[in-house]
Amino acid sequence: MKKATNLSELFEKLDDLKSVFKYGEKLIPVIQGLVDFMRDTVPLLENINSSISESTSKIPKATNQIHNITSATELATTEILDIIDIISNDISVAEEAISSLIKIEKEKEVILGEIKTLTGGNLEVAVLFERYEKINKVNPVLTPLTELFEKIRSNVYNITLSLQVQDITAQQLAAVNHLIESVQEKLSSLVIDFEVTNVSVLDSSAIQVPLNTTFDPNARYSKSVDQQDAADELVKDHQSRTSQDEIDKLFS
Amino acid sequence: MELKFLIVDDSMTMRRIVINSLRNLGYSNFVEAGDGKEALEKLGADNTINFIITDWNMPVFSGLDLIKAIRSDTKVAHIPVLMVTTRGIKEDIIEALKAKVNNYIVKPFTPHILKEKIEQILAIAS
Repeated sequence: MKKATNLSELFEKLDDLKSVFKYGEKLIPVIQGLVDFMRDTVPLLENINSSISESTSKIPKATNQIHNITSATELATTEILDIIDIISNDISVAEEAISSLIKIEKEKEVILGEIKTLTGGNLEVAVLFERYEKINKVNPVLTPLTELFEKIRSNVYNITLSLQVQDITAQQLAAVNHLIESVQEKLSSLVIDFEVTNVSVLDSSAIQVPLNTTFDPNARYSKSVDQQDAADELVKDHQSRTSQDEIDKLFS
Repeated sequence: MELKFLIVDDSMTMRRIVINSLRNLGYSNFVEAGDGKEALEKLGADNTINFIITDWNMPVFSGLDLIKAIRSDTKVAHIPVLMVTTRGIKEDIIEALKAKVNNYIVKPFTPHILKEKIEQILAIAS
């Protein structure tokens, strides 16, 4: 009896095995497809890896170029400031010359007035004086010239003030450089991950500007007075509170 | 009393612009420093400096660190400090005020603002 039971169990197991083989036959093409897919994916991944490597290797060049731009603009700004200093000095020399000319002209007028008084009766001398004064009126020419120089000086000074843009853009470029360097770090780590066959996702949100930096990532060149007004309000508020604190201290 | 300014900024351009502006306002006595550390050295070596104009973002030692160092040194704590910086957000201004800066200018500045802030500081100091 026991032998019959064993045989029936054996046949059951063989049926199970047959089912497994049948299922395996169906599964083999799927596995084959998966292997083929992976075989096709490897060159693609290698391609991505080499692209990332290439991009990463180009980043130092980009950051260097940005740094060079900053240096070049700083040099150019310094040159402009040098020229502005020369122009300002030239204007000062010209203004001094005009000022002494005006002084001389005033002295001349006084002397001519005295001569006129001395030769008051002589009609011919009076006519000559009139002619002389007509062609020698220098002051009406010099006065607008002084105003013109003042205007040039003011414009030159305004150029100087506009050059603050160099410092502001230098900070903006430094912030960009920092971001590029952070991206490079992330890409480099991604390449390393590829090489150990662990593909990780580039997390751009992790790229952050550190708090203790030598540039202001929010620097902007704006003629708007909004930020200054806001700063003034805060300073005023702080000063009034500080004064109140001092008064309170005196009475406590 | 004649003012002797210490201009602290890592940008040479900015130092020249500030000095030019001060010259236009009639001042003629200046000392320059490229960062907070150099500024402290200059302050230690020259006791005639009586007004400081500083930037915030500088290498080595920032403008904020400079103000804190000045306020904690009894020899120089009384010297007024005017900050001229691109940092215009509220939190930064409050941080500077907590460090006891006397006044605050957001770049780009105008000569009118510079004059106004210097005069305000001097008025309070006197």
